[in-house]
Amino acid sequence: MKRTHLAVTLAVVLTLAGCSTKAGDSGSSGSDSSGVKTGKGVTATEVTLGVMTDKSGVFKNLGLGVTQGNELWAKDFNAAGGVCGRQVKLEEVDHGYKADTAKTLYPQIEPKVLGFVQLLGSPVVAALKQNLATDKAVAAPASWSSELLDNPYVMIVGTTYDVEMIDGLAYLQEQGQLKDGDTIAHVYIDGEYGKNGLRGSQFYAKKHNLTVKEVKITSTDSDLTNVVTGLKGAGVKLIALTTTPAQTGSAVAANKALGLNVPVLGNNPTFDPALLKSPAAGALDKLTIVASSVPFSADLPKAKDVAAKYKAAYKETPNGGVPYGYAVGEVWGAVLKKACDNKDLTRDGIAAALKQTTSANTDNLVAALDFSKPGTPATRQVYAATPDATAEGGVRYVKPLFEAPEAKEYVAPHQK
Amino acid sequence: MAKLVRGAAWLVLLVVLLALPLYLDAAWLKAGQYMMIGGVGAIGLTLVVGQAGQLSLAHAFFLLAGGTAYTVLSGPTGDDRVVGFGLDPGLSLLGAVVVSALLGLAFAPVAGRLRGIYLGVASLALVFLGLYFGQSAEELTGGTSTGRAPAPFSLFGFPFTNDGPQITLLGVPIQQAERTWYLFLLLTVLAFVIARGAVRGRVGRSWRAVRDNEAAAAVMGVSVLRAKAGAFAVSSAYGGLAGAMTVLWFDILKPDESEFGTYGINVSIAYLAMVIIGGLGSVPGALVGALIVNGLPQVLALYSADLGWFSGTGDGALTPILVSSFVYGAAIILVVLFEPGGLAAIGRRITQKRLRRQPGQPAEEP
Repeated sequence: MKRTHLAVTLAVVLTLAGCSTKAGDSGSSGSDSSGVKTGKGVTATEVTLGVMTDKSGVFKNLGLGVTQGNELWAKDFNAAGGVCGRQVKLEEVDHGYKADTAKTLYPQIEPKVLGFVQLLGSPVVAALKQNLATDKAVAAPASWSSELLDNPYVMIVGTTYDVEMIDGLAYLQEQGQLKDGDTIAHVYIDGEYGKNGLRGSQFYAKKHNLTVKEVKITSTDSDLTNVVTGLKGAGVKLIALTTTPAQTGSAVAANKALGLNVPVLGNNPTFDPALLKSPAAGALDKLTIVASSVPFSADLPKAKDVAAKYKAAYKETPNGGVPYGYAVGEVWGAVLKKACDNKDLTRDGIAAALKQTTSANTDNLVAALDFSKPGTPATRQVYAATPDATAEGGVRYVKPLFEAPEAKEYVAPHQK
Repeated sequence: MAKLVRGAAWLVLLVVLLALPLYLDAAWLKAGQYMMIGGVGAIGLTLVVGQAGQLSLAHAFFLLAGGTAYTVLSGPTGDDRVVGFGLDPGLSLLGAVVVSALLGLAFAPVAGRLRGIYLGVASLALVFLGLYFGQSAEELTGGTSTGRAPAPFSLFGFPFTNDGPQITLLGVPIQQAERTWYLFLLLTVLAFVIARGAVRGRVGRSWRAVRDNEAAAAVMGVSVLRAKAGAFAVSSAYGGLAGAMTVLWFDILKPDESEFGTYGINVSIAYLAMVIIGGLGSVPGALVGALIVNGLPQVLALYSADLGWFSGTGDGALTPILVSSFVYGAAIILVVLFEPGGLAAIGRRITQKRLRRQPGQPAEEP
């Protein structure tokens, strides 16, 4: 009877061995007919870029907006001829703002793409950081922490949270809503996002003799009434926020309801148009948002063009992710063209082209970008904006791109 | 005869698992490794909950403890931001298990005095302790801003990365994904064999005696407190091993920003789900439960990307994560209502039916 089982075992093993293994998957790198070096994600007719986004988690509205912006750019870029005789194609996956899902999806999408036009979410970027370095894949995180700048393959399109906060505080002081010696509060989500924003307010506070009352929260806290009550007792003159949109709503509602009525300043991810239909809608007048990408409703020519194309193609409520997503595409387009000029469309070629990009232009969708200095934010400029229910995208800018003197002096954590 | 059949089945399964890296892409190996992490952790939990009858919601804490211990012990000395001891990764892995077991023993006075839901609530406190510890002990954990990278694993100098000797098997290069698969498979097999041995031996009998009737167990000479403490320590050790595997899988140790993350309440509940679906106290059942709870989201995510499923966007769209949550939520309800013994009980019944044709063979109890 033993022989029967042995026979079965051997039969299974032989069957498995008979199937073809995954051998022979070696890389297809080489040069094309015009002498341009190619590698992963590039064929004779296509360049494929990856999109790892959130369509089902806590930042799904932003993820959707950025992805749609990416898609609009790809369409325009291809209509204008593409790059090196190739069209750009986007490969999209949804990680639901979960690091473990992203970690499994990454090896599936990585072999198919030249780089990533979107990598949304701090936990996801942190989990994939080593992968990007190992695979030399350039990625544009939809996450603006300057802590990410120690990775040469990270392409942050826009101003980092710390610099946004410095610019924002400078703007509000210029507007007379803050003065030297005041006490301010910073409510932030513990983690890459929140702590980076806090870094900026601490720097500005040191410059202007301000006292910063730090309030750490978690990303799932939903009611900040008790936090604001405490701040009222502490006599703060301004509340800085590096939070989720829902938390922003809770904070501004409490600010008004409790009679504190101080100015509120938020980093770019703190606002979402959905707030304009929330219970906090009546309290948003005190909120100022600083971001390096334009509001959807900006009256700049390029922004109007993107907005028109968006409305023609999509039905969802637009948000600031759309012009940002388009702008990232434009930066990628500039890098791709430079790589093509260098006759190197491999990942190494993209990384080299990125370093040579000293003035990626997005027609003011985002501030002008300089990627040639490792560890340094590519721009320190922001738009200041306020919520406006009458504007598409729910926000309008009140000050065009500017850079505060304090932001110029600021040294980012990985700056050399 | 029954043993031969079972032995042959396990052997075939092992051979298949050993051959899979030659056929599956890195993404599927990654998903499989995640299932193995769940399997190791679930085996530990099923021992303490199913065999010893102690409800524990603290498993996520021990994952964090194990992951941190591995990363600190194996981390480089001389880093100005984080503490490291520069030990060999193999030794560090063992150290992580020991540290977690000791932490479990430290909780023993509580585990020895409480039962059921009261112990569950008390053990839940450890998850919040872990959240606080993860965020505040930045020199050990790297903090929530950037975390810290664990030392790449190596065994007797052999690296589990793309470096080192280039090995090819049937034309397939054995690189990081394949090497990690074999490492995790080895750890899972070890975890399985040890747990199986404990369950069938004197230790397992004492656990079950305590679970079923503490007074009777005491009369028979079992030290109730000692048995409970031992069960909790063993479970913690398994949790610590799963935690070390987690940081190796992620390439980063990054404490959670909130109570729902890699080491949060959601993870403790997921492990409990694995154990319930697989059958309380069943070691093979724990593996099946891990396959469902940890594997389903990963597999659905991979299939959806390949086949273009779940392509809807915006509110109301069905996504892999949503679907898999419904599936395993439904699985728990079905198990609790119709098959309290879990999939293991179904498996046992099927096996007994087949074996009933062999007269004279008594059914084997787990």
